[in-house]
Amino acid sequence: MTNKKNKSAIQRRLIPSYIFLVIICFISVFPIYWMLTAATNTSYEVSTGKIIFGTYFFENYKGLLERAAASSGATLGKVMGNSFLYASVQTVLCIFICSLAGFGFELYHDKHKDRLFAILLLAMMIPGVATLIPLFRMMSKMKLLSTVFAFFLPGISTPFMIMMFRQNSRNFPVDIMEAARIDGLPEWKIFFQMYMPIMKSTYAAAAVITFMNAWNAYMWPRAVMTDNRAMTMQMLLTNLSNGYTIDYGVLMAGVFFCSVPTMVIFFVLQKQFAEGITGAVK
Amino acid sequence: MKKKLLSLMLAGAMVATVFAGCSSSTGADKATEGDAAAATEEAAGEEESVALMGASDDDHTLTVAAWDANFNIPALQAAEAAYQQKDPDFKLKIQEVSASSDVENAVTLAGASGDYSQLTDIVLFQDHYINKYMTDYPDAWQALTVDADWKGFSDDKLSYSTFDGKHYGMPVDNGASIFAYRTDVLEQAGYTVDDFTGITWEKWLEQAKVVKEKTGYALLSMDHNGDDLPYMMMQAEGQSQWKDGKPNLVGNDTFKSIIEVIVQGAQDGTIILANDWSEYTDSTIIGDQVAGVFNGNWIIATMKQNKDASGKWAITTIPTLSGKEGYAANGGSSLYITSNSKHADLASDFLAYTFGGGDGAIATYDAALTNGGVISCYGPAGESDLYNAPDEFFGGVAANAQIVEMGTHVPAVEQNDYHYPLREKVGALITNVINGNDIDSEIQSAQEQMEFEMDQ
Amino acid sequence: MNKSRSIQRKQQRAGWFFLAPATLLIFVMSFWPMIQAFIMSLQTGSAANMKWQEPLFKNYLRVQKDQLFQLSMRNTFMYLLIEVPIMLILAILLAQILNNKDLKFRGAFRTMVFMPCAISLVSYALIFKSLFATQGLINTVLMNLGLISENINWLGTTSTARAVIIIGLIWRWTGYNMVFYLAGLQNIEYSVYEAAKIDGANGWKTFWYITVPLLKPTIVMTAIMSINGTLQLFDESVNLTNGGPANTSMTMSHYIWNQSLGQGVANFGYASALSFIIFIMVGILAFISLKVGDTRD
Repeated sequence: MTNKKNKSAIQRRLIPSYIFLVIICFISVFPIYWMLTAATNTSYEVSTGKIIFGTYFFENYKGLLERAAASSGATLGKVMGNSFLYASVQTVLCIFICSLAGFGFELYHDKHKDRLFAILLLAMMIPGVATLIPLFRMMSKMKLLSTVFAFFLPGISTPFMIMMFRQNSRNFPVDIMEAARIDGLPEWKIFFQMYMPIMKSTYAAAAVITFMNAWNAYMWPRAVMTDNRAMTMQMLLTNLSNGYTIDYGVLMAGVFFCSVPTMVIFFVLQKQFAEGITGAVK
Repeated sequence: MKKKLLSLMLAGAMVATVFAGCSSSTGADKATEGDAAAATEEAAGEEESVALMGASDDDHTLTVAAWDANFNIPALQAAEAAYQQKDPDFKLKIQEVSASSDVENAVTLAGASGDYSQLTDIVLFQDHYINKYMTDYPDAWQALTVDADWKGFSDDKLSYSTFDGKHYGMPVDNGASIFAYRTDVLEQAGYTVDDFTGITWEKWLEQAKVVKEKTGYALLSMDHNGDDLPYMMMQAEGQSQWKDGKPNLVGNDTFKSIIEVIVQGAQDGTIILANDWSEYTDSTIIGDQVAGVFNGNWIIATMKQNKDASGKWAITTIPTLSGKEGYAANGGSSLYITSNSKHADLASDFLAYTFGGGDGAIATYDAALTNGGVISCYGPAGESDLYNAPDEFFGGVAANAQIVEMGTHVPAVEQNDYHYPLREKVGALITNVINGNDIDSEIQSAQEQMEFEMDQ
Repeated sequence: MNKSRSIQRKQQRAGWFFLAPATLLIFVMSFWPMIQAFIMSLQTGSAANMKWQEPLFKNYLRVQKDQLFQLSMRNTFMYLLIEVPIMLILAILLAQILNNKDLKFRGAFRTMVFMPCAISLVSYALIFKSLFATQGLINTVLMNLGLISENINWLGTTSTARAVIIIGLIWRWTGYNMVFYLAGLQNIEYSVYEAAKIDGANGWKTFWYITVPLLKPTIVMTAIMSINGTLQLFDESVNLTNGGPANTSMTMSHYIWNQSLGQGVANFGYASALSFIIFIMVGILAFISLKVGDTRD
């Protein structure tokens, strides 16, 4: 009885929190809701701010298919497939390479490694525009233009990801590592057999972030993916948003298809994501 | 459950990696299933003829990079069909890019790496910039090897694509500007289109005010900070914002008067300066806020989206400061053959045969007009039956032939590589003057900023 | 003794081996291009034919006279000073609220707050642009509520255009930062709060004297990330306002883009020099944040 009373008292005290959260959530979700409605309306209705769902989704979807076919000489599925493929490859390689480095930097840390890490951080301070030309030259010399390699090579080792793994490795139980060493486990096996499973929530978080970044990249892909068979969703989107006449219904349908995969991935992995961000070790 | 999902995803990604390893050398391979089925049949048919950035290896195939699926690309498809009359095996692979800047950047990046092998046989290139790219990247281009019927084009248009007396480009669309008015709105205010033909800007502003008061319609709109208005208005005067390669703003009375007209119109509410392209097209033109449209004739496609206004538009020339009829152009482009092409002869012949006034010209231009609304700048094309057919949208007048004719009057004015940076500075100048800044000091600072930017 | 030292050395070597691939990639894919970009920053001319600038540091000296760059710099720092504190405080606040075990629907709230991050930068700029268009939804709603009598030209007026960019940034990134704080809070033992409660500390005091200090490393990290992100802010300026009106909402990266590939003028030498100026600014600010907040060692 008292317990119940206590509970309702707590809930009552939380009312301001609820109100605050509802407002914030409304603001967060509303533009997304609006994007969804826009994908179902005509271009004119979109630009004059129609707020409710319309009946034009299939026309917009068809328009999108046609534009995808005209742009890439292929289908929307193909363009989505490209985006998915490139982003997946980049994600897998990135979390592998960066976790390896984070593991090395933190669990074997000494003065030299700390210093090297500080130097690596410099790499994220330069605007991407500056290195675009030199990187393009490099890809061109290596004959990698329009290949998946050109897409992911500059993105699979990032100071930020290394930093995340390095930071989270602080929660890695060092004593079991020592125990494993005494048992004669080689260092690389410690990584694969102990570090990887224990840090899996960090991996999930890193995967979500990397995948979103790779999926959403557009400036670099537009420079190097010169073959339009290699077109990605973001490139298709920029094609849709340019031109003498822009169809906003079709464009929003494009935005919708562009956003669904990242939203789904976040929904699926959100628990691990939240745990993994600063390394709750389970 | 979650663990399973995670491992599933990782496994899927691993498979994808392997898959990428196999197919990456060609960029990608067969289309993914799923939505594929829903895509139109033509896509399936084109699967094998998918365009590849890079030149063609086939003797009957050319590649071309171009932008705008609703405009230039139908024109290129029309040319492909026309040339197939001559060479039934001919194929044109079209690579769509998002905007003219994509082609420019592709050339820049190729130039930076000294590797032009990624360029298509032919690229569409916008007129304002070709000069700079010819000068900066001379290795990127090849002259046409087959002569076209050059007499059929205006001097203005050819002045862009001719270098050292050699023709490098084939004009495609006619950027000739139109000034279109809504006759029904003018009538309500007691005017006809003739009252707006061959008038001074001063009179235009007066009459526009009357129209605004009586009907609520503005008489003109333009995107952003008035972007293309000063350029077109200057050209209608036969003048340029450039002189001997330098910005010509300070002490240029024509320029100042034109800015004053735009500012006055904006203050009267007779000229709407929309924030961006979508507001310009969707809100002001399609959204029925303006009774006048002044831009390159490609804007007609946008005007036609407001179906209620069909039959109520009429086209005329541009007002000037002196009151003579003005002609201008905006946003034209031409096709160029890149140095990467191994089939310069085929490309030249293709261009000359279709866009250049050869045997396929009428078929090309007629189909380009029907499918893409692209109006030819090749004079004789305007004599076709299609061009002279009455256009219901313009109240039964043969508007297309009228535009082609207007295009031949456009005076050639000095161009500069810094067309867009200057446009941006003039736009800022207009905004600042509307906000109450002094016009002379704003012109001064725009000129200084432009000179600064050019002094690298 | 001797043996353990050799094991240690072996371990150290293993450490180097683990971090080698990533380090090598960063050197090849970031530092080498950066060196080339630096060389380019001393040059001028078209990308196909670059010549040494005279005097050598002319591109850097030019900045003093570049009014537009200075304007874009002021804009960027204004975004930084207004947006980053609001966003981070809001994020900590949300994390603190959502960390309360008594709160119902925590998962749903957290998901919704984070959702904007799943929208790509291009997409969200397009969404915001249409929301804030003169005929757009925001104006329509405000009109119907009777709050305004005439459509506000959000993106066409300097102050509101800047505000829209700031609102957009807060919308897009608050949830992202919140997740970091939320995770940071997981590492704080619940007993610490219990103890504080027994000592009679109120909610605000607990927040200020317990949460904030314990979150310090996370705060430093998010601050550096946000500073870095804001100083390199690009997409919002390009896609949302296109720098307008009259360049008054343009960011530094947008200006650099215009100087390189954005307007076809391709002044790569000058653009590179400007990039290095941003590099130095980020470096200084990151160093300060680290000095203010570093707890390690």
